[in-house]
Amino acid sequence: MNLRNQQLLPSFQRPTSRVIIRRASDYQRELGAVILESLKEFNLPVRGKSVLLKPNLVGLDTLGTMNTHPAVIAATRESFLGLGASEVFIGDGPAMDRDTEAILESVKLKEYVGPLGGFFRDLNLDDVERVPLATRASRLKELYLPKTVLGVDFLVSVAKLKTHHWAGVTLSLKNMFGIVPGACYGWPKNVLHWAGIDRSILDINAVARPDFAIIDGIIGMEGNGPIQGTPKPAGVLIFGDDPVAVDATGCRIMGLNPDKVSYLAGAGTLLGHVDPLKIQQVGETIERVRAPFAVLDEFLQLIG
Amino acid sequence: MVRKALTDATAAETSFVKDFCVPFLVSSQNDDGGWGFHPAAESRVEPTCWALRALRNVPVTISQEGLRRGWEFLHHQQLADGSWPSSRGERTGSWVTSLACSILSDATESAASVTAGLKWLCNDYPRDSSLWRRILGHFRSDASISEHDDSFRGWGWTPRTSSWVEPSSLAILALRECPEERRPATASERCALAVGLLYDRMCSGGGWNCGNPLIYGVPGEPLVLPTAWALLAVRDLPVHEKKSESLAWLERSYESIQSPASMSVARIALESYGIGLPAAKRRLCELFDAQEFLRTTQVVSWTCLALSPKRNWFAPREFSS
Repeated sequence: MNLRNQQLLPSFQRPTSRVIIRRASDYQRELGAVILESLKEFNLPVRGKSVLLKPNLVGLDTLGTMNTHPAVIAATRESFLGLGASEVFIGDGPAMDRDTEAILESVKLKEYVGPLGGFFRDLNLDDVERVPLATRASRLKELYLPKTVLGVDFLVSVAKLKTHHWAGVTLSLKNMFGIVPGACYGWPKNVLHWAGIDRSILDINAVARPDFAIIDGIIGMEGNGPIQGTPKPAGVLIFGDDPVAVDATGCRIMGLNPDKVSYLAGAGTLLGHVDPLKIQQVGETIERVRAPFAVLDEFLQLIG
Repeated sequence: MVRKALTDATAAETSFVKDFCVPFLVSSQNDDGGWGFHPAAESRVEPTCWALRALRNVPVTISQEGLRRGWEFLHHQQLADGSWPSSRGERTGSWVTSLACSILSDATESAASVTAGLKWLCNDYPRDSSLWRRILGHFRSDASISEHDDSFRGWGWTPRTSSWVEPSSLAILALRECPEERRPATASERCALAVGLLYDRMCSGGGWNCGNPLIYGVPGEPLVLPTAWALLAVRDLPVHEKKSESLAWLERSYESIQSPASMSVARIALESYGIGLPAAKRRLCELFDAQEFLRTTQVVSWTCLALSPKRNWFAPREFSS
């Protein structure tokens, strides 16, 4: 993980970020080609490296709307192997149910990826290491984090395009809550709620530093997300090596203003770009794929 | 014919315990006496507690030395304040304190440890239900989101957070399993409040999830593991309509369970209530054979407990008052 090599830089010192938007109308299409071609655009340094894909696996979900769709996870794994990665792990620590296996069964991940054997990691139960936090957005000063996350060369957040009843939206940054191990912090990881969800998102991402982000917006979730919302077909996949810019783009596609999402506004100062002038959009334009998402009344101010 | 099939099934389960579960657990004990979540993983309190609970119930003779080293590992992990941390090096205790107290409760030499652990547990009040928070809650604009009755207080996963179903259930089990003389004076009251919390947090129609029966007016879906733990926690308490509803939900859900973890604990809960196991799409041993990738210590331990012919799972004791 680039915890070792990346400094936190104020946004004005960062180069422009690049985000690719691709249309994908359903999960039946050949997603592999779309994902592989998109990843190639970034010339990612993954040859011979270990990669961890961190999907958003929240709960029992037979419809494929709550969790990152297994077709996207499988195609992403194949793509990274195609780019020469030595190992591509899939790992998550579901937050609400400790029976990860039941979640994987409901998602039918094996049907898409094959036997999960040696490459699936339940991050809730991984060996852990104490990590002092690089930032002080929350009152947390340290977290125990999975050694799998700390040990891989390249970390990819493979999130879902969803609204969230506490944070406004859950995209690639909020997805990183799943690396915090349940065996230490519980199901749910309630200590993060008490420390402030928005602030915890910043602290976790400042220390985990995902190298790349992909958002599955083929079918997202609107309303009372991230679990009890309504499926929302948006027909897009979003890619980028700046997770903040990817999330800002996701918000704009959802018809929401990322500057008004508290944690994204904070992330835009130190972790990446929210400012559209600092984000080069490639592929589809936001205007062409915009699909306004319904939000709870508490988040009506995010629209725009 | 039916009796022969049942006998064959029981024999197959006993064989599974002897031939798979016990060797898995015995061989995955670490040199420090503890168990990790996976073979060769670092020893942690939780998997060590489950492995010890399983191994002391198996129908085969196993090394007492292994069990002794497991207990010693637990003793070494206890923090100065009486609690146990979830991972080595952590300086704060957590919900695993309940598991450690339970497993050590019978050993005379652990009396002081268990007494200190239970004292820590009874002094650990969740922050969400403090009087101050409850007063503030009346003025919050989002007070109608969950409709919890915060006068009930259970236990959180970590200190000074909120009450949740599973840690509350496991704490009730620990306090009820331990001998009276090791329980703090507040144990009975804490258990009563936590049982009230469990019933308050039950999902509409029976069963529990982590503790959110309603969010923004939408009913939460129950889950197998929290339901089974909660049912075990209230098993010997007076008949309650919500307990019956939840048992019925678990019985209905049993058929469609797809993972060994949920099926094992559901089975323990149902059999603890004397309920015959409903038909399931696949038997527990078969589920295990199909799931090669998540064989963790606690799932093997729960399976071992569920299939072992000894039914000595949890043995609650009455409160004197």
